[in-house]
Amino acid sequence: MAPTASPERPASTAHSPEDAADHLLHLIEHAAHLLPAQGPITVFVHHNTLHAFEELRFDEALLESQQVYGCQPFLSEERYRRELASGRIKEEDLIAVLVKDLDERADDLIGLLGTRFHLRLAMLKHSLRTAPSPELRWVVAETDALRTYRSDVPPEIRKRLTEGTRHWIMRDFRDGKSAGQAKDSPLDAMIEQVLDRFDCASIESWSDDEWESVCLQLLWRLSFDGVQRANHTAPPPPTPRRHRDALLSATGIDADELANDLLIRYSSAFLDQGYAHWPLPDRDGGFYQSFLAVYGQPGGVVPHWLFGVKREIARLQREQVSALASIEESLQLLGVAPQQQEAFITASLLALRGWAGMIWQMETNAEWAVRPAPRGTLVEFLAVRLLLDRFAAAYVSKEYLDDEGPLSMLRERAAAKHAERTPTGKTQLAFLFFQLAQTLGILPEELYRLPVKTWGRLADEIDAFSEFERRRTFHLAYERRYRNQTLDAFAIHTRGQKPTAAAETTLPSFQMVCCIDDREESFRRHLEEIDPTCETLGYAGFFGVAMYYRGAADAHSRPLCPVVIKPKHYVEELPIFTLEEVHRRRARHRRLVGTASHQFHRISRSMLGGAVTALVGSLASAPLVARILFPRTAAQIRKLFGQIVRPPEATQLLLERSQPAPGPEEGHIGYSVEEMTDIVERTLRDTGLTSRHARLIIFCGHGSSSLNNPHESAYNCGACSGGRGGPNARAFAQMANDARVRARLAGRGLDLPPETHFIGSFHNTCNDGVEYFDLDRLPVTHKELFAATRRTIDEARRRNAHERCRRFESAELSISPAAALAHVEQRSEDLSQARPEYNHATSAAVFVGRRLRNRGLYMDRRTFMSSYDPTQDNEEGAILARVLAAVIPVCAGISLEYYFSCVDVQGYGCGSKLPHNITSLLGVMEGAASDLRTGLSAQMVEIHEPMRVLFVIETTPAVMEGIMNRNPVIARLCRNEWVQLATLSPADSTIHLFRNGKFERYEAESDQLPETASSVDWYRGWRDHLGYAVIMAPASAAAVAQSNGKAPR
Amino acid sequence: MSYDQLFNVLGLGVVACPTLLLTVLGVSSLVGRPLDERMMSRLTQLAVVTGLLASVAILALMLMTDRRLIEVGLGNWLVLKEQHFHFTFKFVFDRLSVPFVILSFTLCGVTGAFASKYLHRETGYGRFFVLYAMFLLGMVVTSLAGTIETLFAGWELVGLSSALLVGFFHERATPVRNGLRVWTVYRVADAAFLVATLALHHLTGGGDFVGLMGSGAWPEGQAALTSNQALFVGLLLLVAAAGKSALVPFSGWLPRAMEGPTPSSAIFYGALSVHLGAFLLLRVSPLLEASMLLCLAVIALGLVSAIFAAMAARVQTDVKSALAFASLTQVSIIFVEIGCGLRYIALIHIIGHACLRTLQLLRAPTLLHDYHDMENAIGGRLPQNATFWQRVVPEPLRRRAFRLAFERGFFDTLLADYLVRPFIKTFQWCDGMERRWTNLLAGRPASDADPLQAPGGVIDDLQ
Repeated sequence: MAPTASPERPASTAHSPEDAADHLLHLIEHAAHLLPAQGPITVFVHHNTLHAFEELRFDEALLESQQVYGCQPFLSEERYRRELASGRIKEEDLIAVLVKDLDERADDLIGLLGTRFHLRLAMLKHSLRTAPSPELRWVVAETDALRTYRSDVPPEIRKRLTEGTRHWIMRDFRDGKSAGQAKDSPLDAMIEQVLDRFDCASIESWSDDEWESVCLQLLWRLSFDGVQRANHTAPPPPTPRRHRDALLSATGIDADELANDLLIRYSSAFLDQGYAHWPLPDRDGGFYQSFLAVYGQPGGVVPHWLFGVKREIARLQREQVSALASIEESLQLLGVAPQQQEAFITASLLALRGWAGMIWQMETNAEWAVRPAPRGTLVEFLAVRLLLDRFAAAYVSKEYLDDEGPLSMLRERAAAKHAERTPTGKTQLAFLFFQLAQTLGILPEELYRLPVKTWGRLADEIDAFSEFERRRTFHLAYERRYRNQTLDAFAIHTRGQKPTAAAETTLPSFQMVCCIDDREESFRRHLEEIDPTCETLGYAGFFGVAMYYRGAADAHSRPLCPVVIKPKHYVEELPIFTLEEVHRRRARHRRLVGTASHQFHRISRSMLGGAVTALVGSLASAPLVARILFPRTAAQIRKLFGQIVRPPEATQLLLERSQPAPGPEEGHIGYSVEEMTDIVERTLRDTGLTSRHARLIIFCGHGSSSLNNPHESAYNCGACSGGRGGPNARAFAQMANDARVRARLAGRGLDLPPETHFIGSFHNTCNDGVEYFDLDRLPVTHKELFAATRRTIDEARRRNAHERCRRFESAELSISPAAALAHVEQRSEDLSQARPEYNHATSAAVFVGRRLRNRGLYMDRRTFMSSYDPTQDNEEGAILARVLAAVIPVCAGISLEYYFSCVDVQGYGCGSKLPHNITSLLGVMEGAASDLRTGLSAQMVEIHEPMRVLFVIETTPAVMEGIMNRNPVIARLCRNEWVQLATLSPADSTIHLFRNGKFERYEAESDQLPETASSVDWYRGWRDHLGYAVIMAPASAAAVAQSNGKAPR
Repeated sequence: MSYDQLFNVLGLGVVACPTLLLTVLGVSSLVGRPLDERMMSRLTQLAVVTGLLASVAILALMLMTDRRLIEVGLGNWLVLKEQHFHFTFKFVFDRLSVPFVILSFTLCGVTGAFASKYLHRETGYGRFFVLYAMFLLGMVVTSLAGTIETLFAGWELVGLSSALLVGFFHERATPVRNGLRVWTVYRVADAAFLVATLALHHLTGGGDFVGLMGSGAWPEGQAALTSNQALFVGLLLLVAAAGKSALVPFSGWLPRAMEGPTPSSAIFYGALSVHLGAFLLLRVSPLLEASMLLCLAVIALGLVSAIFAAMAARVQTDVKSALAFASLTQVSIIFVEIGCGLRYIALIHIIGHACLRTLQLLRAPTLLHDYHDMENAIGGRLPQNATFWQRVVPEPLRRRAFRLAFERGFFDTLLADYLVRPFIKTFQWCDGMERRWTNLLAGRPASDADPLQAPGGVIDDLQ
């Protein structure tokens, strides 16, 4: 069958085969960069979904990526209009954006539609309906569209339309008709036709309703007629790239369904990291060879669409056609001209972008995995894809088009069939006019008198403000509202501050250094509210300690540092000397339990083992019921039992090496004292923590623990490659406490007072637990101070949980702080919880500067905060450049991944979490078989506001320009407007906004901020995003207790 | 109150709980006043807990009074005297139905609690719980059915709700397509069931299990049929059971059913509805005793399915398909047990397997977490040591076995391309012929024969 799918003999292809092959390889590699760059889901790292387009300006990139991926670039128009109605976008934002966008073109007069500015504003404010022609036909014929005005037409315009129509008809037509004059133009005939539908005899007593209907019918006919006459053609639809596209539009049958079904299963078997019991045969031969081996063997049942595949495979094997040569063959058979090759290959790879992307990641970027893919796998994948595509296309065209001709011209033949049915778009345009005429109050008479040329101009004008442009305008207005609020808040809050004067002379009670993460904003704010004498700082959560870390109970080392850094140092956690025996014993038990549970896991899926396990399976009902109905209690019980096998609590870090070179071998693990000194110095100088050291300085890493969550790693610390940052904080504290390090620091002009003690800790952002490391080493003199600090932190945990709970609909708004803490603890242990926490969903801005500039400002967990003291920096901003080199790419990556997953959760995100199905231990599919889903899930982004992240950096425009000039990554993100950038003057409250490549002074819109007594007074009773507020007085614990009616526990 | 009355009240309560739940949830959304999430989950809890308590009470009373068979009738709904036909709704409580109904309530209750959080904020929340209630009602009715018509009614409710839940995410194409496929297979099974029902009525004059199977509570009982009659009816019921339990050759639908939200996959295809086929055979087990051939057929089908499913489970790389085939393996073994007459073992096997699989499926999204924990406990990569299979079986044979397992026994292809396709082609041909014929009679040219797809989307002719 399907003779066209297999060549009788392969034709030789290019003149110089090597060149052609190289060229092809180059094209494939180029296309590979457009694939999703998400690696195995266990090491989820946020990054810009459109990273491949960063060379372009943001809006250009959106336009282009829309064509490449077919995904939404913005939220829907309807959504933006809802935001407009709710006041999230204000009309003044739209006006400001339009004015800036149109510049001097704003006031051009567009026919009778007013100025361009007014036309566009009307098109934004009114929801103009458009639909395929059959639907519009239905709307016109069956709905009230030709009987009553749109509901958003204001009364004065209704009146104008009705009265104007009545006048015109009575004057020009009734009169003409009664006088018996011949009106022979077709337009007049049409108008007569419309009038004939009404009872013309009683025209003088027609009601307003009847005139309304007449007016609407006339408007519609005239619009329709005008558009037909206008010399305006819609751009032709893009030519189909792949055969499948042409066939889909010609027959409605998707050939990819056939090929994808096989390819999905095959790719997942090839990439499997050890879930299936039986590995793919001949996997070592590579994707292509193994496919040929499995599908070339005799026997089996071949589905209709693959008839002939065995013969083709036998030929490929006999003639030893390589994967690349097979691609060339396929391209030729499919009739892909050289200039089409790039687009064709890209589209073919993007057809299963998740799997193709994972193959590319596994071959280029996953040498640590159990089974990485060999180099060249993507090429082999493409070879198999094109082979299957040939068969699928041949089958579909034969079955549904009765077309058995050669595949090379199939696209043209299918497109020709489809072309007869290509709509012209004129009905849609006419309907737009019809609606605009109503909302702008344009009379039928005015349309009637419009010359043909003007019709054409109007059509062009409306076309120019396409859906993309409208949504872009909305989006800019949406961003503008938040940006102005933020910049206003900063301007107002910093007004009257005297930041340059040396801060208070009293020492802070303690200092807490957290990650810059937006989730720590509320935690820090609550700490400061509870203990106004404490200080908090923010620094990227690996605290400068880039390492491969292996815990006492971990099987492998994992990198704990930003992905851009490749760590050279290894650190291990060891039990303390006296507990080594216990450790060994427990490790043995642990191994027993682990092996047993692994065996059970495997056996329960097999035949006889499964039968045995199932016979005693009723026992499973106990954990089943307990874990689902009482997750928190069940977790506590499990923890109790887990103690038998958990490594002993008392451990130490192997942090210092004895050999000169760092490495994973014994003696090489750890740092030298000099390196430790470098790390401590850099982190302290970057955060500006060079003087006024408190007696207790706590470094706090963070992470998140949750169940039933394949994306668990995405919730962890982004600065630790999706790991948990506790060990980094612990290692840093140990380094900074080291007397030798301190001595060397003193030599470098950085004095740490001897009474200052560092503690490492770990904040679990999901259950708001905080654990501390190495308390055994706490000096006795600090005991009391630590106890007090711990009480403060515990209160902050409760309040933080309370503030987070306002976002969770399943928590009552009236919940008490203690109950809130229990609630979030339950969330993290709950198997049925699809939203253990909201991760970065609320992030929207980044502040880099001194905390005292925005201390006391309620920022609603929406701001990343990195500490940086401009007064300690040099004129070029050397420290700032260092800080921003990490902060800008990381925060931009997070923000942009959220942006794209939010605007198109099906296309860029991974859809709803509910049907997710873990596959190959690498990623998730939707349901039984689908493309590998990358990006973030609908549950993660549901409360996100997709905006480009707004950086507010405490520096001068000149310094910032200099940094951009020196750092190409920062320059690309800022100059191409993938992020918004503003500077806050270190000396006063002047703000400069970076737009169109230059800094402009920002003028505040308002000069007042709401004031509130405490955070809880501001956020209480509210689930949505909140604006900024100044927290006036530090709230005491009693105040919160009073407001909730219960004393905190 | 006498024991009989008490049994009646409790028995009706067991059935009434899910019925009321379905009515309240269904009607409230039908009249356009959908309940909110909290209310729905409360009602579900209430109905399940009440039903569970009532059934446990019945179990306790049965143990106390040492009665092994309790019948609760809802009277005759249709009596055709001349045809000797009567249509009765009747529920029986015996050693088979009571454990099964308790299992249904327990697992549905747990899944309901799971889903009420898992589906929070999902737009289809209400729809899910309506279908859930329908499923629960179907399970309860099927378990307790005292007549074959009653069983069929429950069977249909289960089928309908299952197919709709597979297509739960109806905004995407694949779930809808797979839901339709499940539905199609169910229709085939139902057709066989329906024919069996008619045959039973014809042969025994009623659908009553007690009358049909002779006196004596389950599992004792003698079929009131001859060996050949039993074989005929039994084979039809075996087809019905095989369709519902996804045995060979219908297995293709089971992994495809994993399209719905995780809790529904867990409860339906992992635990409850996949066991319904086995339950049906248990219910009509006297038939099996009446015919040796039938027993052999059941054993053979079970064995083939078990071996096939065990192989298929070994090559699945995604957790839900692997669990689906693992379920199928056990269900097939249960069929073998039934064929061998080991009824109590089969019942214990069903209950244990359902509990275990529900837990495994509900935990499926935690797989990576669990693997990570296991790796840490073992202190290295999970062992991938060469199994017996890899060491002993020669390579070409392994490759063939892999292909067979990987293509899921080719059953989908066989059914779709070699059974359904010719069927459709034949009828398309008939359709074409008929058009020609009518055109000829109407005197129209033959070229008008194919107006299936209207040409043109261009309607610039709106005038």
